[in-house]
Amino acid sequence: MPDCVMERKSKMKKYDNPMSRQVESLPELMEQQYDDLEPKTRKVLSFQEIYNIQRIVLTGCGDSLAAAMATKHAFEMLTGIPTEVVTAIELGRFYCERHLGIDCRNPLVIAVSNSGTGARVSEAVQRAGKHGCFVLGVTGNEESPLGIHSDKILKLNIPAFESAPGTRSYLVSVMSLLLLAIRFGEVRHQYTMDQAMDYRRDIRRQGELLRTLLPEMKTVCQTVAEEWQGFPCYDFVGSGFDYAAAWFGQAKILEATGKFAMHINTEEWFHLNFFVRNAREMGTVVVANTTSPGHSRTREMVKYANVLHRPLVVITDGSAEDFGGEQAIYIQVPKPEYPITMPLTQFAPVCLIAAYIAELTGEEYGRGCEGDWSFSKNGAGVTESEIMV
Amino acid sequence: MLKHYKIKTKYNDVYDITKEVRQAVEESGVEEGICIVYNPHSTAGITVFSPWDPDGFVDLDEEICRLIPTRVDFKHQHDTPQDAAGHVKSALLGISNSFIVHEGNLLLGGSQGIYFLEFDGPRDREYFVKVFSDK
Repeated sequence: MPDCVMERKSKMKKYDNPMSRQVESLPELMEQQYDDLEPKTRKVLSFQEIYNIQRIVLTGCGDSLAAAMATKHAFEMLTGIPTEVVTAIELGRFYCERHLGIDCRNPLVIAVSNSGTGARVSEAVQRAGKHGCFVLGVTGNEESPLGIHSDKILKLNIPAFESAPGTRSYLVSVMSLLLLAIRFGEVRHQYTMDQAMDYRRDIRRQGELLRTLLPEMKTVCQTVAEEWQGFPCYDFVGSGFDYAAAWFGQAKILEATGKFAMHINTEEWFHLNFFVRNAREMGTVVVANTTSPGHSRTREMVKYANVLHRPLVVITDGSAEDFGGEQAIYIQVPKPEYPITMPLTQFAPVCLIAAYIAELTGEEYGRGCEGDWSFSKNGAGVTESEIMV
Repeated sequence: MLKHYKIKTKYNDVYDITKEVRQAVEESGVEEGICIVYNPHSTAGITVFSPWDPDGFVDLDEEICRLIPTRVDFKHQHDTPQDAAGHVKSALLGISNSFIVHEGNLLLGGSQGIYFLEFDGPRDREYFVKVFSDK
């Protein structure tokens, strides 16, 4: 076999790994999970329970926390109910007791964890329950600590797949929260049932839209990974629910490649991250949907990232024109009918970039939980922790 | 003869369809017969009511809602409380009405109008008018 063909085959192999295969499975997963979750999210809380909600607290750890960040605005836009994202350790150890269990079992605490075994989430829901909050667990494991300590459970059923830094589970977490938000708004008559179904259909439609864009997305992400593989650090920027994808991007770089990565919102970037000295080796990923109220600030940020000669990727549903023609590698993600649906797909490119860089640099996901990292085997770092309620 | 009409409704609203039904009867050419007005929905109704005082419609709405309030303890929880109440309202008030056609006209009293009642909405709705001849 000629050398050039061997080289191409070897490269192709590098661009086909468990994490990238997770991304490639997302369109089918999206359609399959919608069919599973749509009826469940209708029935998990009764009319009475939905009408009782005065405030909502979304909590979780890691990717689940990102899913909460991705959907907080959707909860408020669709339901009008004040909604906070509270980390599990904040809810479990610090959240003001006087604000728990008020107004007949409020706030509603929605805790997300597919495994349901994280100690901090278990602790958070136990404390919330002890002080009179209503707890809805979103988990695939009803027998887990989260399942046991929840008043109601939205049971996830994510088909098994090759192990890799969470990609499929993140999608399902985001989808389940979006469907809950749509349901709450529908029952509380914030919009009609027809409108609610339109929101739902937009969710299901994202699978097909992503399927169409994936081939081009993979090609661009391969180019980015090749150019960026030697960088010591990466910077992920976004605001509003774009911030969740930026947060998720830094998480995937850390998990998959073991390299430093930062996450920051577009405003704080001007206060902090732009100071980095070695800008030409700071791979910068901006997540920027064109409908964002923060879009003008993102345009400014993109402009000054170029002034600093930063290698730049913009993940967007738009194009270079939406950013004043600024130089960058633009990665197209689906443009949904409703912006709330955007978080379902805009994280896909950051997973691909992380997956490809990990392969190109020969990194094992999560450092293989070996050597100094062996304490984290089987998630022990997050499951075996003292719970204090 | 069957005529098909489409309307866009608002939340919990009332629509006067008397003119359309009269016109359907005239266009049918039927001199003596029966006219049926029918809606194919389960959260909307067809009724006869007096058109003269607009406040009467407020009374109608309030009485329907007093009899069948939108509650959160309906057993039917697949959709919304408004929808669940709408099903009961529709079942009790009915989804069709029949009228006599005499001398080519709809036989309606002076204080009678025909109304499409929306118990949910806003929705895209439809109703049908069927005219039969005695012959």
